[in-house]
Amino acid sequence: MIDLFKAELMRFRWWAAGCAALQLVVLGFLTRVVDLAQQPLLVYRVFAAVYAAAGLLLGLYQIGGYRRPNTWLNLLHRPLAPSRIAIALLGAGAALLAAGVLLPLLGIAAWQENMTARVVDMRHLLLIGSAWIVSVCGYLTGAYLMLADKRQGYCAAVFLLLIVFSQATGFGAIAIQALSFAWLLAMVLVAFKPDLGTPARGATRTLITAAPMTMMMWFALVMVGFGVEFLWIAQGSHPNNVAVPNVDGEKEIEVLDGKDLFVKGLRSSIDPEAPLWREQAAIADIDGLFPGLGEAPARHQLTNIAPMEFDDTERRVRWVFSHDTMHFEGYSLVDKRAVGTLGMAGDAPFPAPVLPVGDKLLVDRSTVYQYDQDANLVLPRARLPDGEAITGYGKAGDDFVLVGERALYFFDGRALDGSDGLLTPSLRVPVPGRIGDIQRIDAMELLDGWLLSFSFARSSYNAEGAEPWQQIVRAFDDGRSVTVARRRIARDYPQAWRYQDWFPSPVLYAVQKAAKNAFAGAMAPLPMAPAPVPRAMQVLAGALMLLSTLGALWRVRRTGLPRPARIAWVLACGVLSVPALMALWAMHPARETVPDDLVAHPAMA
Amino acid sequence: MTHEYVVETDALTKRYGRKLALDHLDLRIPRGRIHAIVGANGAGKSTLFRILLGFLPPTAGSARILGRDSQRLTPEDRGRIGFVNEEHTLPGWMRVNAVADMHRRQYPRWNEDAFRDVLGHYHVLPEQKIGQLSRGERAGFNLALALAQGPELLVLDEPTLGLDVVAKRAFLESLMYSNATDDCTVIYCSHQMEEIERVADNLVILERGRLMHMSAPDEFCARVTHWVADIPFKGPDPRSVPGLLQLQRLDGLHHYLVLDQDEDFAEFLRASGARSVQSMPVSLDRAVNGFLAKNHASPDAQRAHA
Repeated sequence: MIDLFKAELMRFRWWAAGCAALQLVVLGFLTRVVDLAQQPLLVYRVFAAVYAAAGLLLGLYQIGGYRRPNTWLNLLHRPLAPSRIAIALLGAGAALLAAGVLLPLLGIAAWQENMTARVVDMRHLLLIGSAWIVSVCGYLTGAYLMLADKRQGYCAAVFLLLIVFSQATGFGAIAIQALSFAWLLAMVLVAFKPDLGTPARGATRTLITAAPMTMMMWFALVMVGFGVEFLWIAQGSHPNNVAVPNVDGEKEIEVLDGKDLFVKGLRSSIDPEAPLWREQAAIADIDGLFPGLGEAPARHQLTNIAPMEFDDTERRVRWVFSHDTMHFEGYSLVDKRAVGTLGMAGDAPFPAPVLPVGDKLLVDRSTVYQYDQDANLVLPRARLPDGEAITGYGKAGDDFVLVGERALYFFDGRALDGSDGLLTPSLRVPVPGRIGDIQRIDAMELLDGWLLSFSFARSSYNAEGAEPWQQIVRAFDDGRSVTVARRRIARDYPQAWRYQDWFPSPVLYAVQKAAKNAFAGAMAPLPMAPAPVPRAMQVLAGALMLLSTLGALWRVRRTGLPRPARIAWVLACGVLSVPALMALWAMHPARETVPDDLVAHPAMA
Repeated sequence: MTHEYVVETDALTKRYGRKLALDHLDLRIPRGRIHAIVGANGAGKSTLFRILLGFLPPTAGSARILGRDSQRLTPEDRGRIGFVNEEHTLPGWMRVNAVADMHRRQYPRWNEDAFRDVLGHYHVLPEQKIGQLSRGERAGFNLALALAQGPELLVLDEPTLGLDVVAKRAFLESLMYSNATDDCTVIYCSHQMEEIERVADNLVILERGRLMHMSAPDEFCARVTHWVADIPFKGPDPRSVPGLLQLQRLDGLHHYLVLDQDEDFAEFLRASGARSVQSMPVSLDRAVNGFLAKNHASPDAQRAHA
């Protein structure tokens, strides 16, 4: 086994060296120009895509080279178990990627840590490890594409999709990637057998392939909907792209001017002051408060929502937040030398990672900080109670408003600029719904408080969102708040369109959501209150499950599957619906038979 | 445990779309000696080997190799079966000594003498890369590896395809004079009848996935005779000629290649108007070619079928 491993290392050694050299040049150049540890998420995604593509190409080329019948026979026909041969080849591939991807990254990180004043945290090392895992996942995907039957090879890509769409953060992200790696490895080992054309035998092996295959089929159906949407947009009648949005519809909510939104929202109000507010809305300043932050940084997260740094333009110092020390670490913009650290209100560590958001403001999950440039201090200025998370912030009139998960908090904006103590909210207005459903919040100042418009239509175009509505709340300065208008927002999309991801398989829909949000921690999506599934969609989903069961019953009789496997497939199709039936069709072709008309004459001798 | 047959197939059938590559093949190849398998292209030889080595599932029937179901071969079983194909697919980026070292470690019954003995027929240097070897050298190196593995069964699938005359001779001599073949059954698949004549103890003829003949080569040659008849005008209707494999008319003489015909065939020719009749033996090459050409697809044959 070690011989095969060494042979593969020798085979690709110059490619790995070339890749490492190229990386060193590119990373060396980039690190001279920017701080690679403080890039926004998009940059890391581009790097991850390149590493995954490099791994994919290696997998396709290396295993593809063995895929020809005679070469495959020559490789596997030896007194070694196929799994051991596979481990030797794949181990070499992973080692080559370590040389080509991991080592240059570690080298650059070591240089940055030891030769510069820039921040290198443990999370950056985890990110480098993640880069290698992603490249190996790409590699295993390429290997599986080459080994598996063409009807099912593409299902390995489901794990790359999981890595792309996963909300997991920090060690959670590493766990998701490691799980993807382990499952892909299992898939390749299952496919690594002399007879490449036949489906895997045994319950465990079948499950290893069938699970991602079924999920991929669900994704394929989603992509069909995506394709139809493209055509719809091209045709010109898609609600998102029509010249004039549907009246009172979801798209209109998104594009309407704040004034018009108040006027529309107040149209049905029976409050005696409503006509006056409508007139006022036409001439008043309307402040938009949402969407805002969405999410705050989590400790040890691998990437950044945005660069976690800000500049003191007077002292010519750049302060960079360190997740390890929970302090800002500074270096001079003039000579790049370290200039010390900056903690909370002096030298205390911050309780949570802090994201600079401009205007000398910094935000963590529940607190807003302000950088006092004169005093060279970061001071907490506003804090939400009971650990409520900040989801947005903004200015309304002279006030500074924090949008929490449960309520809006108004602070005196002048005090924010004129003092340095922790501010107390002057007003708290409960959010009349789930924060995750909010598309926008608009505020109009009244003589004795605020008129606030909450539009709940964020994801109402699909199965995740609430029944869309607009609610206008009057908030008094004394802390009271009352609803003065509420109207239903018309649906822009038909039911079948909204539930296109749900009805093909309600179970897989739930599974993909759970997988996407696993290990998300503080980065989890904001809470929502999905609208109840309409009866017609429930009936449609049920009918598809029944049809899938019947389809599976018909199909399994034409395959060579043993009885327990047939029962398992029929049950799976009943529960998982259409995607499972598609997977069954792709994985288990009809049993080969010898029709009478193909049988020739008997042997002569 | 040793089995009487190294290869046993029962009604083995393999279907590719509308064609049968193997058609209810019942084949039993006894242990020991060199068995040649011949057949036209598409006769099912390579399909048979792929099924026997577990790289292809049969559509129907069963196949056993060294007594084991071919679809359930263990790594140990594979260590007992050597295989050399016509492409001599060895990793081109590896050096000769590295490949040999790998095989030494992987095969517990490695026979260093056999390896050196066979490789001695070729000018192959240990530090050479496989990709730098000529086709003949690669074939020789591949044979040396296969024989040194100490296999109980060695399958050679058209190993001399594409080799020049010198390389072919070197390959055959390496095979014939190696002591390693003494304890090993060899299945030799080739289109080269002169090779078969030199090496084979047993001749297996496959045609369209069916077993058409199995015997010693001499016995097969004895079944095929060449008759030359001087028949004025038109000869007998070919469809009425018993055992006819091939008919040619050269210089006014009718040449008949027939199967399983004795002196009665001369009477048949005379009764058909032959003024003189002469029979002669045929070479294995001629006999096999005539035998295989009989059912070979041709536009005429297809029109007749239609």
